[in-house]
Amino acid sequence: MPSLVELVQSLVNGVGIGLVYGLIAIGFCVIYNASGIVNFAQGVFVMLGGMFTHAMLIKLGWPLAVSALVSIVAVAGIGVLVQLAIVRPMWNRKAPLFAIILATLAVQLLIEQIVILTMGDQPRTYPDFTPGGPLKIGDIAISYQLFWILGCGALMVLLLTLFFNRTRAGRALRACSQNREAAALLGVPVDAMLMLSFALSAALGAAAGILITPTQYTAYGVGAPFGTNGFIAAIIGGFGSAPAALLGGVLLGVVQSGAIVVVGAGYKNVVALTILLVVLLFFPQGIFGGRGKKA
Amino acid sequence: MTSHASTSTSPVRRGAPGWLGRTGYVGLGGAVLIALLFGFVFVKGGYLLTVMQLAMIYGVFCVGLNFFMGYTGQASFGQNAFAAIGGYGSAILCVEYGLPPVLALLVAMAIAGVAAVVVGWPTLRLRGHYLAMATFALGLITYDVSVQWESLTKGYMGYAGIPPLGIGPFEVEDERAKLVCLMVILVFGLWVSGRLRNSRFGRALRAISTSEPGAAALGIRIPYYKLAAFVIAALYASVAGSLFAHVVGFISPEVFGLQMVVVTFTMLYVGGIGTVLGPAIGAIVASLLPEIVRSTGRFQDIAYALLLLGLLVYAPKGLSALSGLGRPRAAEPKPGS
Repeated sequence: MPSLVELVQSLVNGVGIGLVYGLIAIGFCVIYNASGIVNFAQGVFVMLGGMFTHAMLIKLGWPLAVSALVSIVAVAGIGVLVQLAIVRPMWNRKAPLFAIILATLAVQLLIEQIVILTMGDQPRTYPDFTPGGPLKIGDIAISYQLFWILGCGALMVLLLTLFFNRTRAGRALRACSQNREAAALLGVPVDAMLMLSFALSAALGAAAGILITPTQYTAYGVGAPFGTNGFIAAIIGGFGSAPAALLGGVLLGVVQSGAIVVVGAGYKNVVALTILLVVLLFFPQGIFGGRGKKA
Repeated sequence: MTSHASTSTSPVRRGAPGWLGRTGYVGLGGAVLIALLFGFVFVKGGYLLTVMQLAMIYGVFCVGLNFFMGYTGQASFGQNAFAAIGGYGSAILCVEYGLPPVLALLVAMAIAGVAAVVVGWPTLRLRGHYLAMATFALGLITYDVSVQWESLTKGYMGYAGIPPLGIGPFEVEDERAKLVCLMVILVFGLWVSGRLRNSRFGRALRAISTSEPGAAALGIRIPYYKLAAFVIAALYASVAGSLFAHVVGFISPEVFGLQMVVVTFTMLYVGGIGTVLGPAIGAIVASLLPEIVRSTGRFQDIAYALLLLGLLVYAPKGLSALSGLGRPRAAEPKPGS
């Protein structure tokens, strides 16, 4: 039986990774609400965020803030590219749902292979944003990076909430999510909103990747697990609002970390996926009562 | 229930999606091409034989998946779970318990069928993305379990020394004989698929794919039919898994991993989802594609992904739609109408 310290420590770690899942989950929700598409390539944005930042920070020696910002903008650009080149033509041809899902999976495969070719397949990492740490409270260690994740996560959710409620573009996006035809009739440029949602979602994913990389590592293949867990978090949160998705992520992270302590690391995904199935079957609108759309 | 025979013999309307989207010269040309291809493979032998064997196995898988995704219009990203049950079932029953391969295949099929009923009953209440994700989760869970449950599956190491297919003392060991054997099984699978497609059962499935409320109004018990299609797909997948185990003689979790999902989906879309022959054609074409782009070396995966994307964006109905190119758009069939 694991000791109390172990459990609390895993809880702390779980909150950290869970916040990152939450950010990815918000990215899923933004695209899904605007278009009804689930972008399975979401994890790739996370991977690219970490990879780009590493390249600029370590190889080019740029300061962290600049590297991070440039990475986020670059990944947002890739998001727009994916929307323009793949999703929009399929969307306009009324391709079936599963074809679009498969296409986003193919995008993931494509980008991963390009990354291997251009940047290599070695895992890499960079130091915490603030050197030193971890902060010790009794026997519990909290790395400084966790505070960065917490702070940036809270800031981004706040900004997103403001964006969706206070700005014209944000309201237009919400209008699209409620009824695309009606929004188009009211003069909302729906195509541009779709593009915006991909850019926003890619930027969120990149930010998540930049924040999490110092606590572990990044490599061409980290996208798929992050994407899957982010999607599970979105389901748990209920696709409704940004805070619900973030909460879903934290819940998933904590349960997963707890599962590592109790049943071993090998089964952590089994536990996460089982939670997904249970939530899907019994709370199809998400645990936090989000305004989930009908499938 | 007595009207099966009379309803299933109604002639296939011209323009209705039949054996190859629409039969025509393109279909005939395709058949000749495939015959030539098989002839070439038989004479040449070697590595291409293995490629074609795997194409046949994937073909069986795709024909089954087509029941659920093509005819019924539902999404399952987790049929690889049932292939894993088939593969590991056959391997364990043959190696540990000394069952003859055919019996092991049937027992594994039964296990997969029961598993499909148990898993499908609650899951199939979901729709669209939720169903896709739930089935995706099933596949991933099976993968993780097959990696972690080492006492049963030997984990990453994989299961080796699985005997080849055979009945009694007669074993199929020759590579060419294996291919013939697989072809026979695939053709049988296609025959079943074609017969069921134009039966009362198959028409019910296609009605569901067109409009669930409409199908329900016609008295089709939707949950029952969806589950039946799901179980049939699982049975085909299980057979494909068993065949892989016996033909290759070795299985590991990777065989039934996420890659299998992407590959089989590609095959379905390349060949033409919802047609009878489409999945088999897709399996053959999509198996040969990587061999063609292999010469591009490290760019192979990139080329594959680009080809797939190009197909999805510009030819979402797959190769079987080629036969309809010469016809006017107005002849576009409305499935289930």
